[in-house]
Amino acid sequence: MRQLLLGFLFFFTLSFSLFSQGIKIDNIRKAALRTSDAIKEGSDVKGYYFFYVNDKVDKNTNEYTLQIFDNNLKILKDIKFQESKDVTILESSFNGADLIFLFYNSKERTFDYQIYGADGKKKAFSYSRELTKKEKNYLAASYLSINDDEQTYKGLYPIEGKGFISNMPSREDNDYTFQIDYFASASKKQWTYTPTSSAKKFAGDYLGCYNNIIYLEVLKFSSLLDGKPDSYLVGLDLETGRQLFEKQTDSKNRFYPANMSNLNGNAYIFGEYFEEGANIFKDKSRGFAFWNVDASGKINSEKYCSWESDLGKYLNVSSNGKIDDFGFMYLHNMLQASDGSIYAIGEGYKKVASALGIASTVLSGEGRGGLSTLKLKVTDMILLKFDANFNVAGATIYEKNDNSIELQSGMEFVSTPLLGKMIKFTFGEFDYSYTQTNKDNSEFTVCYSDYMRSKDYKGGVFNSISYHAGKITTDQIKTSSAASKSWVLPGKQGQVLVLDYFKKEKRLDGHFEKLN
Amino acid sequence: MLKNKILNTAEEFKKKSIASLGKEHQKEFREIYEDRFKLVKELFEENRILASPEANEYLQSILKIIVSSNKELKDLPIRLIFSKDCWPNAYSIGEGTLVVNAGLFIYLKNEAELVFVICHELSHLYLDHGNNAIRKNIDLITSQEFQNKLKRISKQEYGAGAELDKLFKNFAFGIRRHSRENEAEADRQALNFMKNTGFDCKDSITCLRLLDTIDEARLFDTISLPSTFTFPGFQFNMKWLNKESSIFGAMTEDDSPLTKNEIDSLKTHPDCKKRIKLLEPELDLSHNGNSFLVDSTRFEIYKTKFPVEMAEQLFFEKNYSRYLYYSLLLSHSAPYRPYALLSIAKVMNALFISQRDHTFGLVTDKETRGYPDEYNMVLRFIDRLRLEELAKINYYFCQQISEEMNGYSGFESEKLEATKNWNLYNH
Repeated sequence: MRQLLLGFLFFFTLSFSLFSQGIKIDNIRKAALRTSDAIKEGSDVKGYYFFYVNDKVDKNTNEYTLQIFDNNLKILKDIKFQESKDVTILESSFNGADLIFLFYNSKERTFDYQIYGADGKKKAFSYSRELTKKEKNYLAASYLSINDDEQTYKGLYPIEGKGFISNMPSREDNDYTFQIDYFASASKKQWTYTPTSSAKKFAGDYLGCYNNIIYLEVLKFSSLLDGKPDSYLVGLDLETGRQLFEKQTDSKNRFYPANMSNLNGNAYIFGEYFEEGANIFKDKSRGFAFWNVDASGKINSEKYCSWESDLGKYLNVSSNGKIDDFGFMYLHNMLQASDGSIYAIGEGYKKVASALGIASTVLSGEGRGGLSTLKLKVTDMILLKFDANFNVAGATIYEKNDNSIELQSGMEFVSTPLLGKMIKFTFGEFDYSYTQTNKDNSEFTVCYSDYMRSKDYKGGVFNSISYHAGKITTDQIKTSSAASKSWVLPGKQGQVLVLDYFKKEKRLDGHFEKLN
Repeated sequence: MLKNKILNTAEEFKKKSIASLGKEHQKEFREIYEDRFKLVKELFEENRILASPEANEYLQSILKIIVSSNKELKDLPIRLIFSKDCWPNAYSIGEGTLVVNAGLFIYLKNEAELVFVICHELSHLYLDHGNNAIRKNIDLITSQEFQNKLKRISKQEYGAGAELDKLFKNFAFGIRRHSRENEAEADRQALNFMKNTGFDCKDSITCLRLLDTIDEARLFDTISLPSTFTFPGFQFNMKWLNKESSIFGAMTEDDSPLTKNEIDSLKTHPDCKKRIKLLEPELDLSHNGNSFLVDSTRFEIYKTKFPVEMAEQLFFEKNYSRYLYYSLLLSHSAPYRPYALLSIAKVMNALFISQRDHTFGLVTDKETRGYPDEYNMVLRFIDRLRLEELAKINYYFCQQISEEMNGYSGFESEKLEATKNWNLYNH
């Protein structure tokens, strides 16, 4: 119903009233939709941006249009500017007061963080930095190599009303590290944190911010092939970037925090745990752990739920963590509902024999087939429920069609848990799209895509698992239509934006639909 | 009957116009004439024409007075019709079809104001503004200079977008400037026609004043969603009405990429204050005409009937959000109340189906700054409702009005459907 890009209206009716006083001219002459995404504050969608090349100014410069819409798809801002033709927008974020856009210049190898205020005007300052070769390599291997709708590069996190945290991993050959930057949005202020203690390799994950403390999960690898990295919880001062604490997360078990939630004035971190001495890339996890951590990094309480004894009550879990038919679980997200219950959203995957790989191996001679005799199969979605005391309280599997991923020869020897990470970050083949919660966590929606073949319908579907008023409901939207291409962006809580592109008419229609 | 008469005449007129075309720019003219006829056809295909023979006859009686007192209008191919469109608007399509929207009629105070509206549209036709504009624009677009410019720009590797922008902006400014001049000229001519009719010409000014403030004009009482949708055992959730924080709350229209002069230059109509200022000196204040000459009772009857016609058209067009809004407004007014209550039940059921089938976004509007606050509130309300809540509210609503609506045609089936929907959840 909402037409974003309209042709030039060429009309000669003569009208009496005031109603035809407005006119809209939209430039669609060369409007190729290059980049579009939801502008989020946490998981809350506040608007959308559409970024496209408007005109070629000279051989090095383009004119770009950045259109900003509110979450009802009403245009708020139409910004035209001239920039190098090598510029793209990688990401955006909103912190409740200001909006940040990350522009990437591939030729100059620079990041430019531009900030827009609540009046829609660009701030007088911006943050620029030249990427190191390592960072550029990481980008080339991740975001720039995967052209998916989900846009794998997600490294800008809003700090409400204050600024933004950027987490930028970098990589050169086998040298891995990361850099955390803070960009204030009210006035120009920035700090940078990079891990300094000795390790051959670092991986960092931003968990969240609470009481002006930034919580990070840092993995330190003693060697490049270290499968048992030490895990640390690191706390940074939001104002200065100074490290406040660094706490090893090995306690009763080997714990790897994956997420964080603020509940009743306490910061909780949670994630999977392993047996002491386990290789996290090869061995199964034993279950989930939940820690209550204070501002100095001290653990106030810890709780461990095992697959076998706790989850086994609800699902048929074999001793090695493999759920029958479902395969292994890749954990996408964890969140805490307002009633205190904790939900974990996962997706199944398993290794199965590849007919194509076997045939290829037989035909070309052993070991020279190029394809592995095993392939990966992405299976169903799973929703695990924990009570406020972190006891397993339920588990439900949501069936969907399997996705198959053929593997390169030799990959049959890679551990199954590691393959889960590869499905997520290398192949981009999980069907999970995103999870959204509202401000008071009284509602959340998990979305994932699937494909449907039935007598009445053949095409893409977009599924949701919603939590509202203590109840879980599911819904499905058929995304195949008369449009040349359709895709789905997150909408307000409980809604999605369905975009339909009609190639012949050069028209892009968008309409919001509610998830029931 | 009306449909055939109007369509056949309009088509005949189109054919004649095409047949009389010279060789020059024949293709361009034909396309525009075809498009113009399509507009008339769509009015009928989309069920937008008010079909009531009585209302139509009433309108023709008014037209007859204007034409009979202005001989120069006698030979014009005039087809004047009421549309059910809710926008306060009237327009001339340019080939003889003049449309007065019900959405404008319901705000008019008397026949004299309606006469000014019709005279204004007749003036466009009499002064041939539509065809002049077409000719002017075709001449411009097909001119060697314009075509050469376009050719040059299309071959240009760099800066083509900016050049095209400039070219089209100048073109648009030209169209709008002529259009504004035409409006002022049509006002003047309308007053000349009106002077001969016996209607009070001072009402031309009250009509323009009405147009100036029509966005704020109210015919019905304010809507209160909490009182409409609170029932024994069911409390309205005020969270449904809470405004969301916007990204750019402080943004104003001044942020438009166009300059203020450019925005002004793109308006087709001079603003009403300017129009009043231009027209007032032409008025003979000592001249006292009539507010009504045909039938004041019928005028009032149609003013009362048209809101229902407008609402029904919205439901037909599947604009459910606006239909709900109109029904809520009408529900406060005694003569409309039973109709409005049925409409609310009906549209809530229709919204349930749309939301269930994921077509909600195609049958509802989204909050917009230009809409009245009350309409935005209704939009926010339905936007926030979950399917179960929608079913529950309509179930309770139907229960609440059940006694009042007893025996009202169509209500029982809506109540039954609302109950069926709620039973899906009420285990």
